[in-house]
Amino acid sequence: MRIIKLLVSLFLTIGLIVFLDSRWVIMGSPIPPLGKFLSPFQGFWNNLEPDDVTDSDPLTLRGVKNAITVVYDTLAIPHIFASNDMDVYFAQGYVTARDRLWQMEFMTHAAAGRVSEIIGAGPDGVILDYDRGQRRLGMVYAAKHALEALKQNQDEMIMVEKYTEGVNAYIASLSYESLPFEYKLLDYRPEPWTALKCALLIKSMAQSLCMSDKDMEMTNSLKLFGADTVDLLYPDREDVGDPIVDHPGNWKASRSIPDSIPLALPADLIKLIRLPRPDPGIGSNNWALSGQRTASGHPLLSGDPHLNLNIPAIWYAIQLHTPNISVIGAALPGVPGIVIGSTDSLAWSITNSQRDLVDWYAITFQDARRERFLLDGEWIPTVKDVEHFRVRDHEEVMDTIVFTDWGPIPYDDHYHPDDNRNQYAFRWVAHDPSHDLAGIYKLNRAKNLKAFDDALQTYASPAMNFAVASTKGDIGMRIAGRFPVRRHNEGRFVLDGTRRSSGWQAFIPAEDQIASLNPARGFESSANQYPVDSTYPYYITATSFEAYRNRRINERLKSMTAATPGDMMALQMDHFSLMADENLPWMLAQLDAKSIPEEGRRIAQSLSEWDRMNTPDQTMPIYFALWIRNVLTLSWDEISEANVMLERPTTFTTLRLLKTQPTLSFFDRQATPEKEQAGDILRQSFILAVDEVNRWKKEHPDLDLTWTNFKDTRINHLLRLGPLSESVMGGGSADAINALSRNHGPSWRMVVSLEPSGIRMWATYPGGQSGNAGSFYYNNLIPSWEQGRLYELQMLADPTEGSEHALYTLHISNE
Amino acid sequence: MRFIVQFIAIVITAHLLGLFLPWYACAAVAFIAGYFLKSSQNFLAGFLAIAVLWTFNAWMADLDSSSSLPLRVAQLLGVGSAGMVYVLTAVVGGLVGGFATMSGAMLKTEN
Repeated sequence: MRIIKLLVSLFLTIGLIVFLDSRWVIMGSPIPPLGKFLSPFQGFWNNLEPDDVTDSDPLTLRGVKNAITVVYDTLAIPHIFASNDMDVYFAQGYVTARDRLWQMEFMTHAAAGRVSEIIGAGPDGVILDYDRGQRRLGMVYAAKHALEALKQNQDEMIMVEKYTEGVNAYIASLSYESLPFEYKLLDYRPEPWTALKCALLIKSMAQSLCMSDKDMEMTNSLKLFGADTVDLLYPDREDVGDPIVDHPGNWKASRSIPDSIPLALPADLIKLIRLPRPDPGIGSNNWALSGQRTASGHPLLSGDPHLNLNIPAIWYAIQLHTPNISVIGAALPGVPGIVIGSTDSLAWSITNSQRDLVDWYAITFQDARRERFLLDGEWIPTVKDVEHFRVRDHEEVMDTIVFTDWGPIPYDDHYHPDDNRNQYAFRWVAHDPSHDLAGIYKLNRAKNLKAFDDALQTYASPAMNFAVASTKGDIGMRIAGRFPVRRHNEGRFVLDGTRRSSGWQAFIPAEDQIASLNPARGFESSANQYPVDSTYPYYITATSFEAYRNRRINERLKSMTAATPGDMMALQMDHFSLMADENLPWMLAQLDAKSIPEEGRRIAQSLSEWDRMNTPDQTMPIYFALWIRNVLTLSWDEISEANVMLERPTTFTTLRLLKTQPTLSFFDRQATPEKEQAGDILRQSFILAVDEVNRWKKEHPDLDLTWTNFKDTRINHLLRLGPLSESVMGGGSADAINALSRNHGPSWRMVVSLEPSGIRMWATYPGGQSGNAGSFYYNNLIPSWEQGRLYELQMLADPTEGSEHALYTLHISNE
Repeated sequence: MRFIVQFIAIVITAHLLGLFLPWYACAAVAFIAGYFLKSSQNFLAGFLAIAVLWTFNAWMADLDSSSSLPLRVAQLLGVGSAGMVYVLTAVVGGLVGGFATMSGAMLKTEN
């Protein structure tokens, strides 16, 4: 009897240990191994970091040449002092991994279509579907091309190889107890870092910025409505004014430009599911003021790139210093070098160039085996690539992707066969090999505008508008990237993939690219608007260009004669809605008192008195935003309700057409027997907006009706786990300079004063240096970012200069 | 008295071994203490020893940090408050300690 009791007790003990040492999936939600996870010796409690970090022990690491000193300042920003390039990139890899390893690895998995290895196939297989999509869009294919190119460039090789060694030195030091929190939560371990992962992260950035297109939507519009309507609804160039560079008559074309391109219209219009499209909220601002407009007499540069708001944040602040480099700014975790920032004599910031760098080609396969496709009368072999997906808690999944000379076939009978682009080949500029890191390498060493221009000669992707200013007093703008020389209408619609002549024939040479230096107006600026005046010889098309923010920036900059860094910070936080200002008067004039209920009349009165500011505690921005949303829905009902893939015209074009062509047939609502015109659309959408606000009030009885509560901005954790995410109180809107919407906004705020005695930089971003939710530095920058109070970042000349401000210093030396 | 000796022995040894052995080393410690220091309340001694040890160490880590990680973990595990994560930690460690001590004590009885 006692034996049985003993055995039962032993069995219970061992069973309990095994149970608590294993990961379980209970009703679809994964539970970490609770014993391991909750043990204060190894589990998540170990990820709680003391606030006051003191000096850490010196490190000896294999792969380091000479001694490296890393000074962590009070914001936990590392300032790396090394004696050569190899050591500085080694150390960048090491310290970045120390703060952000989980994020770096997760983002490479997301880029490479490997998320399902970590979190499984997901509900209804959505995660596996996403992974397959990434491979089918050629993300790994693109990264492999980048890696091949990289091997031919000495500078890029050093950057990537040493960075990789640094990351791996950190990974090698990890035991279960020191793993980042998310590894413990999901119960897996990091794999070795590779050069391919660096390339994948660059491609991931390119994907969020320049993989957007509306070729199929445009093709369908062309078939349904004809060419005139297409030009009316989707002009390549909206009548906005204020291009990024305005130099009429100063452009030349060193490449001949053919007139037109034959179109390849698909026979059928089919209903489909679209690719995830970057939110139109993704945009950015940058500007540079020459000394004639600043209080100090020296240039000021400002930049706030807008991206999805994620935590851990997309940027990591860092200073790199060797006898040859002194550069500080924002780096992408996982990529060596600094993407936005300042050397000791030149500062730059970027915005997205928006250009169309994607095409879809209709393919004719020889037969269902898809082993050959037609090209200039010949049957050319395809390449079939079998992709493996090691899905967690699931057997391995395989997927065959067909590659043509044009690129991969993302959609076919095995992947979203109902997509209109079924059997179309996908061509993306970032599929091609290019030397993007070499650009960053040179930029991080640039001392003057000549070196800056030289750095961007080979820069390909993602294409960007670079604003620049130097301590010599110069300011400039350069739109850098690999842009195909397009024929008129090329890239707007799908193309014929049976003829080589449909392809890109050449790229715009660097000397013809859009650039400007020290313009008479005394400032440069860009905010994703149309890039250039109408005399630029090359054809330009895009999914959309920005129409409001850019003009507000220029209006404000024109009024400045003695600008200070504080004025720049204030301008980044500007909440003025130019869209409201130029449209509300005529929109309100359409609301005749008889047709609007009493409550609506009061709101209309308040709207007319509204100062057009999207500040956090106002209510008018809510009514205006909902009014615009309903105007778009009612105006383009035939587009949203059509059974084919179509794109709504932009808000700018919609409002312009409502104002100037009120009887346009599109404004007649399909669902009603009456014949509506613009005025009816505006009245009906206004009433709908008022109803929506009342509904919101009922659904949120505990919340005040304010813009910030309504907008409900969130910084989501990369795993989309609410408890690890952050909620933000803030104003702004997509058309205001402070372009803070629900999930998008300024991902980095920076102001640099380029003084002859040296640069001064102020910056902040939505997050913190540490990716560890158990650290004070996980979210400590969020309040300053919300309020636009930037911290001064010190560009340190040597480690001793920094020691007085230092949190602690890390010494790294060779074994 | 034996109860207190057993309790203290488990707390101290499990703490020392916990610093460099996997989390389940506490079960081995508790098992041995159940065998050699058998008391009248073995399960309770083992449960309390590991529960107190784990809670105390968790609390020490929490004390030095202003981070809200315990609350975030509570929400992730669906247990509501940071306090409940302490309770869960204590119960998980305690159960392992309690059963292991009880098993050790039962083995002793066999001889």
